[in-house]
Amino acid sequence: MGKEVQQVLNVGIDLGTSRSAISASNGEKFVVESFVGWPVDMVAKKVLKRAVLIGHEALSNRSMLDLHRPLERGLLKEGSEKDVEAVRELLRHLLTLVGAKVDGTGTTRAVVGVPAAALRTNKQYLRNALKGIVDNLMIVSEPFAVAYGLEALLHSLIIDIGAGTTDFVVMRGRYPTEEDQRTLTNAGDFVDEQLMKLVQTRYPDAVFTVYMVREWKEKHSFVGNPKGPVIVQAPVRGVPTDLDITIEMRAACEALVAPAVETMIDLISKVEPEFQEKVRNNVILSGGGGLIPGLAEALKKGLDQIGGGHVRALEDPVFIGSDGGLLLAQDAPDSDWEKLTA
Amino acid sequence: MGKLNRVKRRLVSGAVSDNLETMRGFGPWTLQRRRGSEAWIRRTYMVLLPVSLLASTLLVSAVTGEFPFVDDRRATMSVGSPMQPSPAVVSAVDAKKNAAPRPSPTEKVFTELPVPIDVAALDLSVRRVILDAGHGGSDPGTVSGPLLEKDITLDINVRLERMLKQAGFDVEVTRHDDRTLPLRQRANIANDSSGDIFVSVHVNSIRGSHAIRGIETYYLGPTDDPILNELAASENRGSGYTLADYRRLLEGIYADVRQDESRALAEAIQKNLHGDLVAVNPSLENWGVRKAPFVVLVATEMPAILAEVACLSNQEEARLLETGKYRQQIADALFKGIVAYARVRGGEAEKGI
Repeated sequence: MGKEVQQVLNVGIDLGTSRSAISASNGEKFVVESFVGWPVDMVAKKVLKRAVLIGHEALSNRSMLDLHRPLERGLLKEGSEKDVEAVRELLRHLLTLVGAKVDGTGTTRAVVGVPAAALRTNKQYLRNALKGIVDNLMIVSEPFAVAYGLEALLHSLIIDIGAGTTDFVVMRGRYPTEEDQRTLTNAGDFVDEQLMKLVQTRYPDAVFTVYMVREWKEKHSFVGNPKGPVIVQAPVRGVPTDLDITIEMRAACEALVAPAVETMIDLISKVEPEFQEKVRNNVILSGGGGLIPGLAEALKKGLDQIGGGHVRALEDPVFIGSDGGLLLAQDAPDSDWEKLTA
Repeated sequence: MGKLNRVKRRLVSGAVSDNLETMRGFGPWTLQRRRGSEAWIRRTYMVLLPVSLLASTLLVSAVTGEFPFVDDRRATMSVGSPMQPSPAVVSAVDAKKNAAPRPSPTEKVFTELPVPIDVAALDLSVRRVILDAGHGGSDPGTVSGPLLEKDITLDINVRLERMLKQAGFDVEVTRHDDRTLPLRQRANIANDSSGDIFVSVHVNSIRGSHAIRGIETYYLGPTDDPILNELAASENRGSGYTLADYRRLLEGIYADVRQDESRALAEAIQKNLHGDLVAVNPSLENWGVRKAPFVVLVATEMPAILAEVACLSNQEEARLLETGKYRQQIADALFKGIVAYARVRGGEAEKGI
């Protein structure tokens, strides 16, 4: 990319199940799909002319690739060398995009936000997987990075709806403990699975893939009353056919609501009673899933069970996590960074 | 602004400390040994281990009559006690006995010795079965790629529930969907439903040893196996019981016929589980019926077992668990185990089995 790199480059990285974003202290920002693929054979390698493909490029050429989405369900699969390598490739790619020198001639300090489930269960494994790519490394949970980026550090509840997991964290002015956090697997991928099943049931002759379903969801998802019919196209016995999936889309998206409300209420009920109202009125919806129209209102309605509250959906959540990571990287003193050698 | 900066400093410091702990090997998992293999145990569980060990000590004490801190009167309860500890417990206790002088039997005598109950005198037919799908909601249990213990246990229980109902049993479940449910609440559901037996379904994971797979069924009892205490600590996590609650619950157990009945139920289930599943899963090891202080088994008021029906850390078994067919076979085996136990207890006539 030929960018001028500062002597020390601080970066915040949101290593997501579906998309990964990077924000760097030199002002660069990028987002890529969290897909990494290796050509399946020599023919594919010759056609693609690359040893590894990342992001949208990998997804577009998936038929020729051994495709990996390393943080499936929010966890890095332990024992899967390919997935470890995929995470490393993804990280290298993001760092290259912002102009970080990965050849050892510059100093790069990275705060990497990962799904909370990954952080809780295989933090050590993740840390080992990311070793050696940056000079200094700090791994934090994604909702914590979001909270830090928004400076919502006290009496707030962050709900980060990603692809693999929905992460909840109550911010109490301290580094969140396990008790402050929850993770559900009812997230974007879950909506895709539900939608796929429902559409298959209604249109058994229609042929479509999970990638098509994901596109439909990203374009037409909603909770509550529909604003109009949701019509998509898929081949039926080879003939491109319009399918009305309004009911199915609503049902699939609304499957997120009940478990999210239950978890939200459970976490709020564990907050000190004098602060519960403050937390109820400071619920922040982040992540791609937070953009589903009507979801924030549905969660707000759920809060009525415990006295009501306010749910705010972030309008542009793409870089919130990586920006939070970057702020954290910049706020950490040099003396702390020196201890966190990767 | 000053407050915000202070909070930020605290948070940065917390994040740095958390990462340093991981670098020093005190991350969420620490390496332990189990059955001659290396195994990763949650650090949180290791923190809970002392509680589990304390509970285990109380259980051992209940059997041997040596209550170190419960009640002076019970200090000599083992004298003439009709309840005999298992050989494993005896060896652990013997070592303890040799280490410290015992009080003279004449010093204090506990006069209210528990008397074994003749089960034939009781109506122990099985009418209502309580099924408990392990973990749930924010607690996924053991994880292997996309497979979560909470989903597997729920699926097996849904199948089992259907079969039991078809066979004429009343069935209550502790959870019928993906929800967080503290162990205390599970026990309350079982007790409030007046269940005749309680069956908790779990899936094992032997981290660091992906080659082995096996089945084991637990009933409540003391163990001197530290690994089992660790396992119990892990399964007891978030129980909602205080130590005082736990002690009170433990005190009442051994005069109860429930332990023998729990063992009989565990044996029937283990026999059918291994016997049936080894036919389709030949490498499956039989780890047998074992005793451990799981909270759900302590707090439930009926014969209760906890079955570890599979091993998710084994890749071949994980692949099997992905299939509805194998989960159905597990449910079938559990069903046969429950029916076998019910037959012995004379409940089958009422169920039309």
